[in-house]
Amino acid sequence: MKNLLKKIFLIDLLQGLRVTFRTQHPKNIVTEQYPQQRPMVAERYRGAPRLNINPENGQTLCIACDLCSLACPENLIVVGWERNPETKRKDLVTFTYDTSRCMFCGLCEDACPVDALELTQDFELASYSREGAIFDRQTLEEGIRPTKYRF
Amino acid sequence: MPDDPKPEGANTPESAPQPEPAAPQSPSAEPAAPVAPATAAAPPAASAGGAPPAPAVPPKPPAAAKPAGAAAAARPAAPKAPAVMAATPWESELTADLAAEFGDRISAFQSYLGQNFLVCQPGAAIPILESLRDNHGFEYLVDVTAVHYPDKPEPFELIHIVYSFERNERIRLKTRLKDGEKAASAVPVYITADWLEREVYDMFGIEFEGHPNMKRILLPDEWETFPLRKENSILKMDQRWVQENLGIESGQ
Amino acid sequence: MPGTFLDSTELVLNMGPQHPSTHGVLRVIVKLDGERVLGTECVIGYLHRGVEKIAENRTYTMFGPYVDRMDYVAAVSNGLGYCLAVEKLLNAEATPRAQAVRVILTELNRIGSHLLWLGTHALDIGAITPLFYCMREREYTLNIFEKYCGARLTTHAFRIGGLQYETYDGFEKEVLEFCDLFEPKVDEYEELLTGNRIWVERLTSVGILNADDCKAYGVTGPMLRAAGVQWDIRKAMPYSGYDKYDFMVPTRVNGDTYDRYMVRMAEMRQSVRIVRQAVADIPAGPIMAKVPKIIKPPVGEAYVSIEAPKGELGYYIVSDGSTQPYRCRVRPPSFVNLQALDKMARGSLVADLVAVIGTTDIVLGEVDR
Repeated sequence: MKNLLKKIFLIDLLQGLRVTFRTQHPKNIVTEQYPQQRPMVAERYRGAPRLNINPENGQTLCIACDLCSLACPENLIVVGWERNPETKRKDLVTFTYDTSRCMFCGLCEDACPVDALELTQDFELASYSREGAIFDRQTLEEGIRPTKYRF
Repeated sequence: MPDDPKPEGANTPESAPQPEPAAPQSPSAEPAAPVAPATAAAPPAASAGGAPPAPAVPPKPPAAAKPAGAAAAARPAAPKAPAVMAATPWESELTADLAAEFGDRISAFQSYLGQNFLVCQPGAAIPILESLRDNHGFEYLVDVTAVHYPDKPEPFELIHIVYSFERNERIRLKTRLKDGEKAASAVPVYITADWLEREVYDMFGIEFEGHPNMKRILLPDEWETFPLRKENSILKMDQRWVQENLGIESGQ
Repeated sequence: MPGTFLDSTELVLNMGPQHPSTHGVLRVIVKLDGERVLGTECVIGYLHRGVEKIAENRTYTMFGPYVDRMDYVAAVSNGLGYCLAVEKLLNAEATPRAQAVRVILTELNRIGSHLLWLGTHALDIGAITPLFYCMREREYTLNIFEKYCGARLTTHAFRIGGLQYETYDGFEKEVLEFCDLFEPKVDEYEELLTGNRIWVERLTSVGILNADDCKAYGVTGPMLRAAGVQWDIRKAMPYSGYDKYDFMVPTRVNGDTYDRYMVRMAEMRQSVRIVRQAVADIPAGPIMAKVPKIIKPPVGEAYVSIEAPKGELGYYIVSDGSTQPYRCRVRPPSFVNLQALDKMARGSLVADLVAVIGTTDIVLGEVDR
């Protein structure tokens, strides 16, 4: 009987509509207007890769140990180095990072013994060509420059 | 085009040579113990007698393996000892019942890491599954899968995993198969086996007799190779199919 | 009653691969008599990537990120199952602290997965509103993952032997805040759907799968529990310290689509309960057990399964003593559950087929692997 009355007076539908209207209150709006409103990504976010530079002398921190390229499941890191005849140490020459195949799993970051390679908070990785997704040493050191749009 | 040198330079050292030398190593060493009961029909007495001494050695590595994390000295011993799976015999009421019912059609009851499995003769898998389901409450077929050991005389190992809700017990059934040999389908016993067996056929090329719909499931019907066989490297794929249907040189 | 009044001819209809209600690239060939489904055949494999073959060519550590991409809605669960399987082979166990954090993240992921299921399932049936609300709450779980491990969807949160990352400052507080916020929201969804007459009538007695059928088809997870079998791997074979937590395994009796909805709603509440207990008592200590840097399990094999949001997710790994798995088989719950689609849909209407596909909660990335 109670159920029948509920049915006749559309109680179940009104109950649902109450929820809908309650959520329309401006203070309940959660949508972000992305390009105008920049989202705050977390500190540990795994985004665009970066090769860190020693801030004191501007030299790269990378010691060309190749551990990142060995750790990478997709084999997308290629480290080019040459032996410095004076210091007998490896000097980094090229560093290529193919973000088109990258899973952003963070294993290269974990493998790096000197914290030179790091996945940063930059997330705007779209590019107009496949070549644009392949980062060379310069891009990695300077960071990505996504196209800026004005509104 | 820095993309090109990478796949070649990167993939070949990693995918091609490494697994191949690793694969023959262990199978060649392996027939010593765990397979002996499965394959060697000639010395069943020897394997039955040989099984207890074999575990007599292995119990040490697992025991040593636990403190191995802490004690560095024990660690080098761990990889050396188990060139074969250090399985121990498994005895329970269930094994007694099954042994009484199937006799020497089950060649071994073993246990490894607390997980029990039995190794049975090729034709025996389906009757055993039927008996497990009807008499022992193993109503749920968890998985059907296979493993390929190319260097062994019977290169395929077919694995059925069954579970019993009442007993809360999961066991594995292993059957050795020759290349090209057909296995009996488990579909009449468990309907689940339908897709699972099709997947085994798709990946390994093991055909199941009595299966209602024996065709590929994940790959296209015209595909030619069986990808999970060890002779097919990860880079090798059906070139002809890819060229005809996708119009590109290869999948990469 | 097919063919009683008019002898209509059979019609074969292709549903998918691009169909909004198939939740991905699933193609169902439906044989119809008028509106009635006479039989279905699934064509799958459009997303096949050969994950098992990839596993044989990667080291144990490297394969970690790939498992996230099978059931991408529940990446954390996938990672947990894989880590547990390799840990079993290594005869190692994660530290108590790692286990507690794993439980928290996995349960949050279960909530996220069920929320996505609820939203899309409601969308299939015709209720658009719940999708937005579900996505809104799911966002909070994703934010916690992002803060914890740096990725939202394919998290790669766990490593073999424990965790890579220590919890961030305010982790416990944020998780508890989510619990407080989420519990009333479940009531809100129920307010929208549970009593709604359209929802009830569209779902009751649709796609019935009783307990015997479930067992015969190997169906697990919420679908099995909706048929009245109180079986949950978290209870039956506890892993990762689930035996320490007090929670219920919700069941229903009819095994129809509506019951599966009710079971999943109840499961979300239970997950919150587990999360609360786990957060209240995260033990201190290291997050990584002592496992070797290069993972080389001894020769052997192990099958380890966990209760993923969709059912039993199992990993069968064969090791030959090298750094790469000799064989890594994944037992995907979606794949096996999808097999029962024909049984559920036979005899129903085309419109109900959509409901039945939705209720199986499939993720095609996992079906095809």
